[in-house]
Amino acid sequence: MQIRAQIAMVLNLDKCIGCHTCSVTCKNVWTSRKGMEYAWFNNVETKPGIGYPDEWENQERWKGGWKLDKQRLVPKMGTKRGIMKNLFANPDMPLMDDYYEPFTFNYSILHKGSGFATPPSARPYSILTGRPMEKIEKSANWEDNLGGSFKERSREKNFDQVQKEICGEFENSFMIYLPRLCEHCLNPTCVASCPSGAIYKREEDGIVLIDQSRCRGWRQCVTACPYKKVYFNWETHKSEKCTFCYPKIEVGDPTLCSESCVGRIRYIGMMLYDSGKIKETATVENEQDLYANHLGLFLDPNNPEIEKEARKQGIPDKVLTAAKNSPVYRLAIDWKVAFPLHPEYRTLPMVWYVPPLSPIVNAAESGKIGMNGILPDVDDLRIPVRYLANMLTAGNEVPVIDALRRMLAMRAYMRTKTVDQIPEPSLEKTGLTPDETENMYHLMAIANYEDRFVIPVSQKEYARDAFGFRAGCGFSDDGGCGNNKFKNLFGGM
Amino acid sequence: MENYINNLLFTYLPHIAFAIFWFGLITRIIVANKSIQAKSTQILARKGVKTGNNLFHYAIIIVFFGHFTLFLPEEVYHLVMTTETKRMIALVFGITFGVTSFIGMVILLRRRLKDVRVRVTSTFHDYFILVLLLVEAGLGLASVATTASTTVEEYASLGVWAQKVITFQPDAGAVIAGHSLLYKLHFVTGLLIFMLFPYTKLMHMLVLPVAYFFRSGYQLVRKQHLLNDNRIIK
Repeated sequence: MQIRAQIAMVLNLDKCIGCHTCSVTCKNVWTSRKGMEYAWFNNVETKPGIGYPDEWENQERWKGGWKLDKQRLVPKMGTKRGIMKNLFANPDMPLMDDYYEPFTFNYSILHKGSGFATPPSARPYSILTGRPMEKIEKSANWEDNLGGSFKERSREKNFDQVQKEICGEFENSFMIYLPRLCEHCLNPTCVASCPSGAIYKREEDGIVLIDQSRCRGWRQCVTACPYKKVYFNWETHKSEKCTFCYPKIEVGDPTLCSESCVGRIRYIGMMLYDSGKIKETATVENEQDLYANHLGLFLDPNNPEIEKEARKQGIPDKVLTAAKNSPVYRLAIDWKVAFPLHPEYRTLPMVWYVPPLSPIVNAAESGKIGMNGILPDVDDLRIPVRYLANMLTAGNEVPVIDALRRMLAMRAYMRTKTVDQIPEPSLEKTGLTPDETENMYHLMAIANYEDRFVIPVSQKEYARDAFGFRAGCGFSDDGGCGNNKFKNLFGGM
Repeated sequence: MENYINNLLFTYLPHIAFAIFWFGLITRIIVANKSIQAKSTQILARKGVKTGNNLFHYAIIIVFFGHFTLFLPEEVYHLVMTTETKRMIALVFGITFGVTSFIGMVILLRRRLKDVRVRVTSTFHDYFILVLLLVEAGLGLASVATTASTTVEEYASLGVWAQKVITFQPDAGAVIAGHSLLYKLHFVTGLLIFMLFPYTKLMHMLVLPVAYFFRSGYQLVRKQHLLNDNRIIK
């Protein structure tokens, strides 16, 4: 057993209101620079929708993640030889037009100009070329709140084996907000595809980073990531990605996207796992077993045997304590209400999602769908369970239904208790105990700051002094922050 | 005077050029290591990337290594082939891959000039290198044509010159004094490229990630405290 610690995140989609605060805070700190205008380390998509970049979930098109080739795990884009062959021109790389051309408006005309014959308007300009744009066709949230036609949006992959025509009707439409960031996978394809070895997984907390001084701009990682969360900076000609705000994590603070989340939907916690089993876990034949296998990787930090072994292998006490109180462990393992996003990519992602159930509750309460004890019939959900299962468990509906049942039971229990003033409502057929339900309620509904974020401060020996980051500029190259055009002797690249 | 210039360019310039080349190469690797990288514009525009880049790069690699056969002494290659055969092979490869890389570069130059995004983000450096290589490839092709239309001896003496240069013979220049101007232009431009090489984006060929093949497995895990902290904080 080879124990490693991983910082992980859970997003409660049930509570996401799609305000994009996470995206904006992230953008302001990390990608508001030349070359990265089009990149969003965190973006919020409205589902159903093809997302950003176009159809990122369609791996037939983008070749992200892993595939099984005669029981062997190889990147879907090709083996090492295949990747090297495509070094000069990457055939499966999403281009600027698949994201969007970054734009701004010539606001100055509004307060500078006078004597307009018609009310003045600010035209869009391309940030890339500085030229006026005829029309803005896209952005990172172009389908916001179901923007665009259903026909266009429903090209997305999660509709596989769902009768999507029905979902296109107004009465049956549904929507989910899906905030996305780098998954900091246990088996990352971006790392695997980087021929320069610039991308690596940090041993201490599992954060996946791109070493900017080793990146040589071969851009294979952009294709390799099935979540399309590696971005190519057209100014520095290097790849960049979400850093899980490691300077904050190292001092025990949550990431910017989590800290700023007004809906309190994000949880950050430590997970212990057996890194010796990664390969075996990701290589399982049936895609639908990947979720269960992924769960099997995690180790119980409260098991004294595991604790002893972890100590022996040099996992710091702070990490162990954090792992014991990990909200991610509660949600993903104790209650099994959180799921990995698209486990079928075989990357073993570590940003998990609690499926949404909000639209059901109203329907259940108004008697529109059947009740089973205190539980509404999950089969009558507005969001097709299959759709959620395609997104979270490679199409296996059972775990998703179980999770939704538990969440519904928790709601029903707390409602009966607080509204109807019944001290001990029945939890029949739910498989939950009153204590567990209260805990679930506390973590998921109340979601206090200190419960949501249990992050150990880095061991002093390997923590960096975050004070040095003040007034820094995140990623930078020799050009310094932003547009400073310092050129060195060697062509100033 | 003519003799003086010939000597300067073909006996001494190669050494000056390589001194500059090695100095720049080593200092760049040490001083500005992270600037050694490919400068891909693929993300900006699709058109021409696949054909242009692949034609150019694969062909130019073959052409580049083909030049090394000039350093083979006659005694060595005569073990397997005659000078005439070697010339034939050189002509076939030279024409095939020379033309291929030339076409690739034309496609790439066209793309750089025509696509507004690529054009706007291009620097003088990008155009200069591309045009320089295009000129050099053109001169190379003209030299191939010259080789095809002259004697075997003239071809053989090109190798003699190259070997005399790398063995520091003072009479190297004299060997090709009577050769066609096209060869000479090709040599001088080539030496110019070598001199500029360390200071340009051409350096990216040094970081061709062959080590990838030797990485055990696919994944990479590094310890945080073993990394140089100052790299990211600027």
